[in-house]
Amino acid sequence: MTLTSPNPNLAEPAIPGWQRTLRKLLQPVILLGPSGLWLLLLLVFPTLLILELSLIPGARLGNPPGPYGIGNYIEIFKPVYLQVIWRSLYFALGTTLFCLLLGFPVAYWIALKAPSRWRNLLLVGFILPLWTSSLLRAYAWITILRPSGLLNSLLGFFGLPGQEWLNRTPAVFIGMTYSYLPYMVLILYASLEKLDRRLLEAASDLGATQQQSFWRVTVPQTMPGIAAGGLLVLIATLGDFAVPELLGGASSMTVSRLIYNQFLGATRNWGLGSSISMILILGVSISIALLLKYGDRDAI
Amino acid sequence: MPPVRNSNFNSLPPHSRRRFLQVAAAATSGVMLSNCARALLNNASGGTTVQSDGRAGSGNQTLRIYTWANYTDDELLSNFKDRTGIQVIADTYDSNETMLAKVQAGGGKDYSIIYPSDYMVDQMSGQGLLSLLDRSKLDGINQLMDKWQNPAYDKNNAHSIPAVWGTTGLIFNPDVIQAEVKGWDYIWDNTEDLTRQITMISDVREVLGATLQYLGYSINSTDPAQIKEAYEKLLEIKPAIASFVTNGWEDQLAGGDLMISMAYSQDAISLIAEKPELQYIVPESGSSLWTDTMVIPKTAPNSEAAYAWLNFMLEPENAARLVERLKISTPNAAAFDKLPPKLQQNENLFPSKAVLAKCEGIVPVKEEISNLYDQFWTRLTSS
Amino acid sequence: MSQTVIQQDVAETDTMFDVELRKVFKVYNGETAVRNIDLNIRQGEFFSILGPSGCGKTTTLRMIAGFEEPTGGEVLIRGQSMANVPPYKRPVNTVFQSYALFGHMSVWDNVAFGLRLKDCPKSELQQRVGESLELVKMDSLARRFPAQLSGGQQQRVALARALVNRPTVVLLDEPLGALDLKLRKEMQLELTTLHRDLGVTFVMVTHDQEEALSLSDRIAVMNIGKIEQIGTPTEIYEQPCTAFIADFIGDTNLMPAELATLQGETVEATTRSGLKIWVKPQALFKENPTREVLVSIRPEKIQLGSTDSSEIANRYDGTLKHVMYLGNHTHYQVELPSGDVITVFQTNRSSEQLKPGMPIQIYWSASDSLALPV
Repeated sequence: MTLTSPNPNLAEPAIPGWQRTLRKLLQPVILLGPSGLWLLLLLVFPTLLILELSLIPGARLGNPPGPYGIGNYIEIFKPVYLQVIWRSLYFALGTTLFCLLLGFPVAYWIALKAPSRWRNLLLVGFILPLWTSSLLRAYAWITILRPSGLLNSLLGFFGLPGQEWLNRTPAVFIGMTYSYLPYMVLILYASLEKLDRRLLEAASDLGATQQQSFWRVTVPQTMPGIAAGGLLVLIATLGDFAVPELLGGASSMTVSRLIYNQFLGATRNWGLGSSISMILILGVSISIALLLKYGDRDAI
Repeated sequence: MPPVRNSNFNSLPPHSRRRFLQVAAAATSGVMLSNCARALLNNASGGTTVQSDGRAGSGNQTLRIYTWANYTDDELLSNFKDRTGIQVIADTYDSNETMLAKVQAGGGKDYSIIYPSDYMVDQMSGQGLLSLLDRSKLDGINQLMDKWQNPAYDKNNAHSIPAVWGTTGLIFNPDVIQAEVKGWDYIWDNTEDLTRQITMISDVREVLGATLQYLGYSINSTDPAQIKEAYEKLLEIKPAIASFVTNGWEDQLAGGDLMISMAYSQDAISLIAEKPELQYIVPESGSSLWTDTMVIPKTAPNSEAAYAWLNFMLEPENAARLVERLKISTPNAAAFDKLPPKLQQNENLFPSKAVLAKCEGIVPVKEEISNLYDQFWTRLTSS
Repeated sequence: MSQTVIQQDVAETDTMFDVELRKVFKVYNGETAVRNIDLNIRQGEFFSILGPSGCGKTTTLRMIAGFEEPTGGEVLIRGQSMANVPPYKRPVNTVFQSYALFGHMSVWDNVAFGLRLKDCPKSELQQRVGESLELVKMDSLARRFPAQLSGGQQQRVALARALVNRPTVVLLDEPLGALDLKLRKEMQLELTTLHRDLGVTFVMVTHDQEEALSLSDRIAVMNIGKIEQIGTPTEIYEQPCTAFIADFIGDTNLMPAELATLQGETVEATTRSGLKIWVKPQALFKENPTREVLVSIRPEKIQLGSTDSSEIANRYDGTLKHVMYLGNHTHYQVELPSGDVITVFQTNRSSEQLKPGMPIQIYWSASDSLALPV
């Protein structure tokens, strides 16, 4: 506002002062109102609702709600639930690591090495899998990984021993990494593309080999992107139960599936489901807060 | 009983994705339609307070029904309209819990007919969500088979009319397995040879229930010791279990990557129609017997049309058509008589009395027991 | 413009050169950025490459640094060919135009970067980094991050980061371009002090002629990929070889003219408007007389008023058209009867005020009017 019309008296001579004040007061309401309402209705309110539910031990649809308490949170510390949380974290952290290891070279190559006119095409090509349903992709992996599937046919063709990956942890990592790699690549690409190449020249000028430049300049400079991509994949994989369930076999219970079961499974223990949700929301919020703090310090 | 049932195995089963959406939908509908968590929980019994009986029978010529996918088709609906002049709008769900959540949250007020499964009838009537059926308005209820005259889930069919039923059993390829499979023994006896080659339904009560029956207990056991014993018994065959899936095993079973799948009869029969080399059995130790019913919720805006629908579906011709179309069993004896002999003799559709005698419907259990089941399930699927 | 490059290094074969460019060519996507450059930079020299933007000066610097490989020709540093020698193996360090400081490192770590890569022992590293920071007066801000520094402070860190490695040659790419005038003057002074104290060869690229003139021992003026002249600041200013240089460096009155035959040391040139100017031609013209020239007269060489001296060959009557008072000096524009307008700079020694419209006389000596190739 002030930038475009540095002298409001000149720009709007006819408007009396009180109207301008009113306008100033109304402006944030008008600008932020719609999205604020949206956030309030679909984010803040549901979260508060879940918070309240989580504080009613054994809250069940159809039961008269009991007194408030933290029983639901104590329940989470049962080994059976801790194990599920641990497994989810294992899946999520592993997938994040794989996405990072596979995604960084790709993003690096597209952003810094590939001919610039091919970049968009390469990116589109890379995110193409996102256009299909993640379920379809999981089923495709079943076809590839099943004992008589494509992978083992290929291995057999080259005289290599067949692999039994389906319904075990490797399949979960393969499927989830495949699903979330494009997100990682996109975010890393955005970060690498902004990388000031003069910094690489400066490093080289000061005696750094390509490898040294990479570790001492490129990686630290793109750390916000790495953190953002990692966090996005981490959160997304924590919330994904379809892929683990389809590919992970009999021992693929994840936190999100557990929550689902509490809400729509046979027990319908909404209280416990809500408390696990709250723990998940809390964990994710803390990671985001850390990211913001960390990212801020690194902002140049 | 099945939380998810999809008779069309060829389309890549979209159930998991739908579940995903269901969670979101249930969560948002729950949020939008209630004021706070307590109100949300209370709404379950409070559903009755939002009665709109005044609108019933007001000559409204539209009937909204809430049902499983595939249970209605255009032909059925247009036949009904020709007969009664009532326009039917059918919405579908694919899990009882989703339907319940919607109805409890007050989102089911438009529906005059709902198709809950057996245990869900028990639960809904317990929460006062269902109207008592007026027998005087119903024709042909006496034609129901004996087993459905007075079902455990709804005494004297006070709130519900059974529509279709089925069993849960094992499907396999006898040529591949090269042994006579009569029940669960085969899996416990051959666990080592079956490593990651069987699938079981993704439902705690079905899986633990089948094991309970295998151990000689009731599928509805509420004895913690028995449930624990069943869990431990299941752990023995855990190495053989590739995954817990209700759908999605079909291709792998047909392709020989899986040896045996635990499946709902309806899914098994559909698959066998395409792959006749496969075989479905109800285990010797018994299985669950599930029924999907038709009910009139208390909030039904058009109960007159609802009764018309119930009577229409009770007609033997219409009930028989449902069997032919869905490859699903009917509880209607008169409809059974109208079926072609080939279907009548199909033991997968209509098991012998001896087999049926061993089948039990799954009924809801108390909260603590339900929690126990769930905890064992969580342990089973995360160990 | 013809190829009038005066090579004054030719005789100095015994001098050690830090940087030598031999017939260096650089072509980008079919466009020639640098054409056939020969350049010898002496040890310990403050050498500037001056030219307008796009003249190829930065490309030349980048070829010395190793960021670009010449398309043709050769770059030598201390007599060693730099062909296929990557930047990190060259004994040069660059101070980048925008400083290119590492934002994720403190000032100290930025300066220590190069030494750490060379596995410098800790005690030596501490000492050298400390000294460098002291040298640029940044020792008190060593713990800060670049984002917390002003432009001038960042400039100092960039200098320290380059100097700490004790390079043979320090390359400076428009080092003061981003600073405001006052800071620039201050840094100019510090740069010369640093250069004098350290005795390292500085090669600076700049488009600021004043900066080049005030800092450099020698200057190479580049235009459209070529070097037009190499010389000391005085040579470049007083005896520009081309009209481009005369115009680009400082101000000048440029008039196309035709030369008559040489009469002794001087020759009469006639401008298109008929104005006759006595010119002292350069050696080149004596050997290879060209008739079409550009006559260049620096405005500050022209005097206002009348003179009796017979030395002064050029005297004209005119009318004062414009007066622009600039404090310590004044710019005048004098219109001659021929229609030519001559710019004259005079320092303001008296407070006498000349008014536009006044008749006025101007004069300058023949040796102050240069005949440059067209």
